[in-house]
Amino acid sequence: MQSPLNTEQQLLAALADGQRVATEQIYRQNYHIVSGWLIKNGGSSTDAADLFQEAMVVLFGKAQEEDFRLTCSIGTYLFAISKHLWYKKLQRQSREPVALHDNTGDEDEDGGLAYEDDVNAHTERETHYEQLDAALEQIGEPCRSLLKAYYHKDKSMQEIAAEFGYTNPDNAKTQKYKCLARLRKIFYAGLE
Amino acid sequence: MSVNNTNIWELAEAYLAGSMSKEEQVALHQRLNADAAFAREFQEISNLIRSVSDSGKHKRFRSMLHNVHQSQTAAVPAKKARHIILTPEFWRTTSIAAGVAILTSTLTFWSLKPSLNKTEKRYNTISREVTGLKIAQAKQLEKQKQLEIDLDKSKKPAPPPSDVKKTGTGFALTNNGYFVTAYHVIHDENGYGDSVYIQNREGQYFKASLVTFNAESDVAIMKVDKAGFRFGKSELPFTFTGLKADLGTHIFTLGYPADEIAYSEGYISGRNGFEGNIMQYTLELPVGHGQSGSPLLDGKGNVVGLLTAKGAENEVKTYAVSAKAITDLLHKLPDEKNIKLPKASKIGRMPREQQIDKLEAYTFAVKVYKK
Repeated sequence: MQSPLNTEQQLLAALADGQRVATEQIYRQNYHIVSGWLIKNGGSSTDAADLFQEAMVVLFGKAQEEDFRLTCSIGTYLFAISKHLWYKKLQRQSREPVALHDNTGDEDEDGGLAYEDDVNAHTERETHYEQLDAALEQIGEPCRSLLKAYYHKDKSMQEIAAEFGYTNPDNAKTQKYKCLARLRKIFYAGLE
Repeated sequence: MSVNNTNIWELAEAYLAGSMSKEEQVALHQRLNADAAFAREFQEISNLIRSVSDSGKHKRFRSMLHNVHQSQTAAVPAKKARHIILTPEFWRTTSIAAGVAILTSTLTFWSLKPSLNKTEKRYNTISREVTGLKIAQAKQLEKQKQLEIDLDKSKKPAPPPSDVKKTGTGFALTNNGYFVTAYHVIHDENGYGDSVYIQNREGQYFKASLVTFNAESDVAIMKVDKAGFRFGKSELPFTFTGLKADLGTHIFTLGYPADEIAYSEGYISGRNGFEGNIMQYTLELPVGHGQSGSPLLDGKGNVVGLLTAKGAENEVKTYAVSAKAITDLLHKLPDEKNIKLPKASKIGRMPREQQIDKLEAYTFAVKVYKK
């Protein structure tokens, strides 16, 4: 068994790297807080799972930034982000303005705005990825599968060469560049 | 790698990966500065590669998260209260039910009562199914040999357990805690939930226990456990009518299709209910899932029925059990447990807004929990 990651920085660095141990630790320490709050506020356990995972993705996305710094603890951050995401969701559903702050009074105005920026950046990122995915769906085979294998499934060029029947990894790589060129065409055409 | 002869994609990839030598980096920067068209293309290509690879990273992270969630929620140890170890037969039904739940949408709950099997699509009970952990549960069941259900019956006021399985609506029979809801809200093909709580308009939870029920008419009478509990400041403002309401009677209902109470109105469009059921009414009344167990009132503040089901998704047809089914059930109780139904409606002459205001305290969400 691995020892728990000691400092929050270590934990975040490991999270940014996509390490499972770090993810599990953050999950264990924070999930019940968010789910407890949400259920008290009328959400279901499914909502809680979705919400917390979304907040984790926001944190993950933020941890990728080069100049990344967290001005509060991971727990405070996740809780604040979860609340923002939830209120946004309620707002979308009701199509009416909903106060973005509840009366728990544990975040000041500036902090609230910073969280809002992070949530907005996250939403933009997700939209961007969706557009990319849409373009990826249009490029046809074998390009689609090849790019997915490399970028989504993190397979090596050796594995891909074997799987797609290229004589060597270099041929597979040449094909990958052709596919990327195609993706570029479709992606930017879609944005115009 | 020669900066001038290498494929621009390979260059961008090496640049992003940080695998270029110092010399190569210098050469690249020179070319970027000298050739604006090349610089633009290089920029666009780098952005694309970065996006595709970040998007992949996010996807892998999401799928890991999902996995972590499943393994962590599966690993939560049950409290050391009373445990019932389920027999293998039971897990099989729960995993089949979980499978069904995955296939149906989150908010739709097809009644699976045997007598209704053939017609389930035309007759949908309107409790709200909360699929929650069912997906995780199905996976977990494959591995786990024992599923322990925590039946915490201690008298201490405890917050509700975290997994709401189903929600419906209930309304008071007496001010001191007796209330009625649809039986299918608290009992379905998986049996009873572990616990039932009501949540009033202030958001407070109170645990409740089953007093009696009639599965056929779909009526359950329950009582809030808390001693000295009162729904509202005064006795019930509405009364129950034993008489069959007339065709065309304007009716309204209050219920909890979501976390907010909702009002809707309509009229009795059929003297009998689903497939001629004489204990029911057919209504033209828009309702949503979660409103099973809602009171059906006429304009004078008489409860004429209790909502149980609605027709096919695209219809506004709704079915309600007549109030007589409730009073009949009450009469079967030993000594009627001192349940005295109010004799007169206090809201008969009020405008609708005031009627609703008076009724709100006596109408609440019913939440069924199950691990």
